[in-house]
Amino acid sequence: MIDPAIKGKVLGTVRFPLDRSKLGELARALHDDDPAWHDSEVAAAAGLDGVPAPPTTTVLADHWRKQGALEPAIEIGMDLPRVLHGEAAWEYLMPVRLGDELTAATIVTDVATRAGKRGGTMTFVTLETTFTNQRGELAVRQRNTLIETGARA
Amino acid sequence: MSAELPATSTLPVAPVLLQVGDEMPSTTIGPLTRTDFVRYAGASGDLNPIHYDEPMAQAAGMPSVFGMGMLHAGMLAMRLARWVGPDNLRSYRARFTGQVWPGDELTLTGRVAGVEQRDGTALAQIELSVVSQRDEQVLRAEASAVVAP
Repeated sequence: MIDPAIKGKVLGTVRFPLDRSKLGELARALHDDDPAWHDSEVAAAAGLDGVPAPPTTTVLADHWRKQGALEPAIEIGMDLPRVLHGEAAWEYLMPVRLGDELTAATIVTDVATRAGKRGGTMTFVTLETTFTNQRGELAVRQRNTLIETGARA
Repeated sequence: MSAELPATSTLPVAPVLLQVGDEMPSTTIGPLTRTDFVRYAGASGDLNPIHYDEPMAQAAGMPSVFGMGMLHAGMLAMRLARWVGPDNLRSYRARFTGQVWPGDELTLTGRVAGVEQRDGTALAQIELSVVSQRDEQVLRAEASAVVAP
């Protein structure tokens, strides 16, 4: 059971450096072979002022949390085997480039419950993370909705 | 040492001319294997064992391991960024509507649903989808991007 009082809880910050090998690995994992995703010479030849980060790169910041990617769900007391990822949304305010260092700050913005179709209570938790670059500019805002499905009777 | 391959990029930089009804070049990826899930686990840091540990996934009531939602959401976002240009993307929202299983082949599509003028900038609203070979929509998404006026 997730305490609705966690709404507004600040889940801490993590700093995430975007280096070349990590971005190359990500592009490969996402089956995209355009070299501009990790090679600065190719990106410059294409007219880009740096190597662009793929749109979902901010997800990787979770890797740098002490307890790994699931730390936010653990911190708010979600029962991991019952957790589903419902939705993810990004707002892009400023380009993110290889060499940037992003500071991610996560806050619980909403907690809602609904009766599940197969009994039990489903809990919807919305987490908002802001990513600020090394110049102090807000670059990306990401919202995740995690769903804890009802406990089996 | 391998031979130097000519490396060029096709990523657009300036806003691209897009109009209502224009379609993103469709891509099919797969069949996906457990290696694809493990590769994304390593790249992203999402080490939830339900995506690579078969006995654990089955104990949790799943028929087998399954892909992370962020894997196909990420693949779709890459294709979208290649289409509109990475610096022109303003928002992207993905809703996970089904599971991706080993062996699945995913078709990624997108279409301009509208273009609105805002403060001298043309902003395209784009609807996107990932559908498996079972004709199941596993993800739907919407995005906005600056396009050529």
